[in-house]
Amino acid sequence: MTTVSRRLLPFAAVLITAVYLIPVYWMLNTSFKGAEDIFATPPDLIPLPPTIGSYASAVFSDGDIARGLLNSGIIAVGTTVVTLLVALPAAYALARLRVRFVSAFLMLFLAVQMVPSVNLALPMFVLFSGVGLVNSYVGLIIANCSLAVPLAITILRPYFLAIPEEIVEAAKIDGCNELTAFWRVAVPVSTPGIITVGAVSFLQAWGEFVFGLALAPDERFQPVTVVLAGITNAFGTKWNDLMAVSAIIALPVIVLFIFLQRYIVAGLTEGATKS
Amino acid sequence: MSSLARSAPAARTTVRPGHRRPNLAPYLFLAPAVVFVVLTVVYPLVYNILQSFFDVGLREVVQGGASWVGLDNYRDQLGRSEFWHAVVVSLVYSIGTVVIAFAVGLGLALLFHREFPGRNLLRALLLLAWILPTVVSANVWRWLLDGSYGLLNAALSGLGLLDRDLFWLGEPNPALLAVIVATAWSFAPFAMILLAAGLQSISPTYYEAARIDGASAWQQFRSLTFPLLRPVSLTVTLLIFIFTFKTFDTIFLMTGGGPGNATETLPVYAYNEAFEFSRFDTAAVATTVLMVISIALALVYFRALRSEEGA
Repeated sequence: MTTVSRRLLPFAAVLITAVYLIPVYWMLNTSFKGAEDIFATPPDLIPLPPTIGSYASAVFSDGDIARGLLNSGIIAVGTTVVTLLVALPAAYALARLRVRFVSAFLMLFLAVQMVPSVNLALPMFVLFSGVGLVNSYVGLIIANCSLAVPLAITILRPYFLAIPEEIVEAAKIDGCNELTAFWRVAVPVSTPGIITVGAVSFLQAWGEFVFGLALAPDERFQPVTVVLAGITNAFGTKWNDLMAVSAIIALPVIVLFIFLQRYIVAGLTEGATKS
Repeated sequence: MSSLARSAPAARTTVRPGHRRPNLAPYLFLAPAVVFVVLTVVYPLVYNILQSFFDVGLREVVQGGASWVGLDNYRDQLGRSEFWHAVVVSLVYSIGTVVIAFAVGLGLALLFHREFPGRNLLRALLLLAWILPTVVSANVWRWLLDGSYGLLNAALSGLGLLDRDLFWLGEPNPALLAVIVATAWSFAPFAMILLAAGLQSISPTYYEAARIDGASAWQQFRSLTFPLLRPVSLTVTLLIFIFTFKTFDTIFLMTGGGPGNATETLPVYAYNEAFEFSRFDTAAVATTVLMVISIALALVYFRALRSEEGA
């Protein structure tokens, strides 16, 4: 590479990144515009003067959105907690304990991740109808966990594999049994893995759409993703309000990503590619 | 639990030294996850397959009492042009997305392969496109592509490339192109990460040798980078294909499968069969076909992973 092109490289990278993220910028730009500004031709590239009217009306005066956000929070937190409780011991067993057919179990958990969520959402609607789990937080949390648990096991196992044998052995000499060695020693030293799984489970449940759509016809239980899709037609051409709600849904994802970027990227890529 | 697990092998060793009775405790660690996955994934999947052999409408869902119809649902579906249309749209959608996401991802990976200030920040920013919830990106794309006030049309007409209001999501071919581009936009950064890791693993000594031999940048890319990147490329291609093939939300939110059924992929078709027309049986046929294809793809993927590890 010549020196000239090497000097230009950072600028080219900035330019390409900026162009690539135009959709994100346009979401923020529109969300800060007033109702009449969004129909300007040519469109205003900077919202002047910016207004937070759309945010105020979307969140505070529209109870549906606020409730949807609360529902999404409940579902995402519930999914994260249940996923960790179920996946941690399983990943530990597959990594460190004497279990037969380890590769068969791993294959099961990996294969299950390839299942399309529509394939689960439709039969779950029928099955959940029979047991009163349609339109319930429990039903939505179970549905989200169905795919989160196998992913979590796949992500967590390498972390448990990496624990030095001596640490676990020392704990057992000190009087720990299998369960206390797991809980008091293995889990605490695997904090990065737990953060990774927690973040990935939360993010996926927060943005989840198909299960919410199929399993919560009653809007009192709908996650905000489904509420947004439902009111899209009612919003009509109020693109500024629509973009404000979209930005609010994106906010927790962006905040989590800023702080836990490394964990999230590792979790989402290695979960898919490691066996 | 643990006392039982500990005393059991001890009792056995007196009879047959060296042969240990299986310890049950590890299976208790594993059991909740296995039971959970069987109940929430395997059972619904099997149930779904069974449903494809019954006559199931909304009444049967609510009251039960569906009757066995054998292969009738399959005959009905496989004879319907709408079904085959959905299969073809799924393939076009997936292949189109893979091609664009891979090409863009490779370009980005090569761009960010060299050290320069701000590299990590820019790469992290690009990943935003990948981790944004689909509902968010689908809505933003709908707005960008709006016929009258969308940014894309404003830019195109500003450049003199468009002289009318083109409603991207209102015309069949533009709509299909639009959902492909929107999906590829999310997946390209994912391709970038995996391909960047692949590039990282190529030893720099190869390039030094190539430079000494006087190879140009293009020759280095063609005869070094590209062949050495092939295993990772295969992984990326298959993964994105699998992910896209089962994607539901992007299309459902952007076009609902329309206009007409121009963007109706198999998952959207299945959903509409079930929830718009209350035909849970034919929906089950469509999802079963979707799953068979997904499993086939997954098997190809696992085989590729294994041969990659073996190599």
